[in-house]
Amino acid sequence: MDLQQGSIKDLWKAIYNTGDLHHCFNCSTCLSGCPASHGDPPLLVRNLARMVILGLEEELLNSDTPWACVSCSKCEEMCPMDVKPFEMILAIRQWQSANDETRVPPSIVEIYKRGYTQAVGVNTDLRDSLGLPELKTITKNPEQLKLFQEMLMKTPVVSANDYMFGG
Amino acid sequence: MELCLFLGCNTPAIRPDVERAIRATMPVLGIDLVDSDNYVCCPAFGAFPSTDIDSWLATSGWNLSIAEEKGCDFVVQCGSCYSSLRMGREHIMHHADQRARVNELLEPTGRTVTGKSKVRHVSEVLYKEIGPETIAAQVKKSLKGLHGVVQYPCHTLFPSEVVGFEESARAPKGMRHLVEALGATVDSYSRELQCCGGAGGFMKSTPEQAIEFAQSKFDAILAETKADFIAVSCITCLMHMENVQNTLNKRVGEERYKIPVFDYNQLLALCLGFDPKQVASITNVSRDAVLSRIV
Ligand code: SF4
Ligand code: SF4
Repeated sequence: MDLQQGSIKDLWKAIYNTGDLHHCFNCSTCLSGCPASHGDPPLLVRNLARMVILGLEEELLNSDTPWACVSCSKCEEMCPMDVKPFEMILAIRQWQSANDETRVPPSIVEIYKRGYTQAVGVNTDLRDSLGLPELKTITKNPEQLKLFQEMLMKTPVVSANDYMFGG
Repeated sequence: MELCLFLGCNTPAIRPDVERAIRATMPVLGIDLVDSDNYVCCPAFGAFPSTDIDSWLATSGWNLSIAEEKGCDFVVQCGSCYSSLRMGREHIMHHADQRARVNELLEPTGRTVTGKSKVRHVSEVLYKEIGPETIAAQVKKSLKGLHGVVQYPCHTLFPSEVVGFEESARAPKGMRHLVEALGATVDSYSRELQCCGGAGGFMKSTPEQAIEFAQSKFDAILAETKADFIAVSCITCLMHMENVQNTLNKRVGEERYKIPVFDYNQLLALCLGFDPKQVASITNVSRDAVLSRIV
């Protein structure tokens, strides 16, 4: 008897704990309008749902395809069984990030350090020439930025990987 | 009416002429914009929503608290920002445990969040709050004689029960009526509702296929319409639909794909008489053929 099988059987609880997931009947509606289903390898939401239900832990951990999702939510709209496939994609990514630090997206470090994924508010000459006002960004407000960072430091991803955020 | 302007990251940093167009046009139509000081990234779906619920919702809560403090709703142009803020608000409003946790995280920062401020997309405000008739009555210049196609931002359609405002997400009408209000003819085509494909990791992880996916859309536009321009209302659609045309041209070895792309507020600003240099100057697909015909 392989006792481990029991825990893997319940993998869905760790990843996406919703009864609706089990209503998935493999209809493939979630694939039909999905841009990333055209990828190579394709993002196949239906298969991911099956992998979560069956508890295929290793395959799920190694799967890159959830990260190709463009967040268009067409699958979420069209799924007849209310699986909420886009939320499932996010849940799979969360579980991957929590179990494999190489999955943690670098963009969260940018957001932690300056509040944004882009350098917002530094293009002052261009903004001036367009007649735009100076932006009161958090990057330029050390007090607010510190509060924002202290808040994030209490969240799982930042506290577990604090070395990425400059300690 | 006063609305809190949520700019996100890409618009102010890369396409500030779109920001200028929004700031120029909305007050003319009776919407006063208030700045969101100290806002942060929405958060983008590929960031905290892909790591854990606490950091995701704390970041949403930080932003939502700004509008709540000002006592108004958010207005957003970027599709991802709009959808992320709405999804964040949905979680915070409908899950008491998550709301409590977010407020616990926010407390030391002097902020709180209840969900009382709504998150509205700029195209919804234009379509539903102001209305195409009012817009048509205000414009000084017209797109008459020009044909356009519209790109609905996926994030404003799906899932309709969270982000939607159209009567039917399967047959949206807003962008069409808004562009028609400026005098242009809007052509339909088979791939009108096909996603631009520009958000998230699709382009990063499998660029070949993502470019082919976009090509199928542009080929349909070229074969089925007389489009002089494409009207979008999302910063990702705008940048991606321009960039991908240049990429495609390099592939096919000729200038086949050169349809100017405009954010709707840019077209509106041009028709209200604002200077193209301020409201529509940053692009990598020449807009001259359209600009010269707006009279
Ligand atoms: S659309 Fe829903 S029910 Fe159908 S395969 Fe996808 S997740 Fe399962
Ligand atoms: S939200 Fe993601 S998985 Fe769903 S249809 Fe869009 S790209 Fe595909």
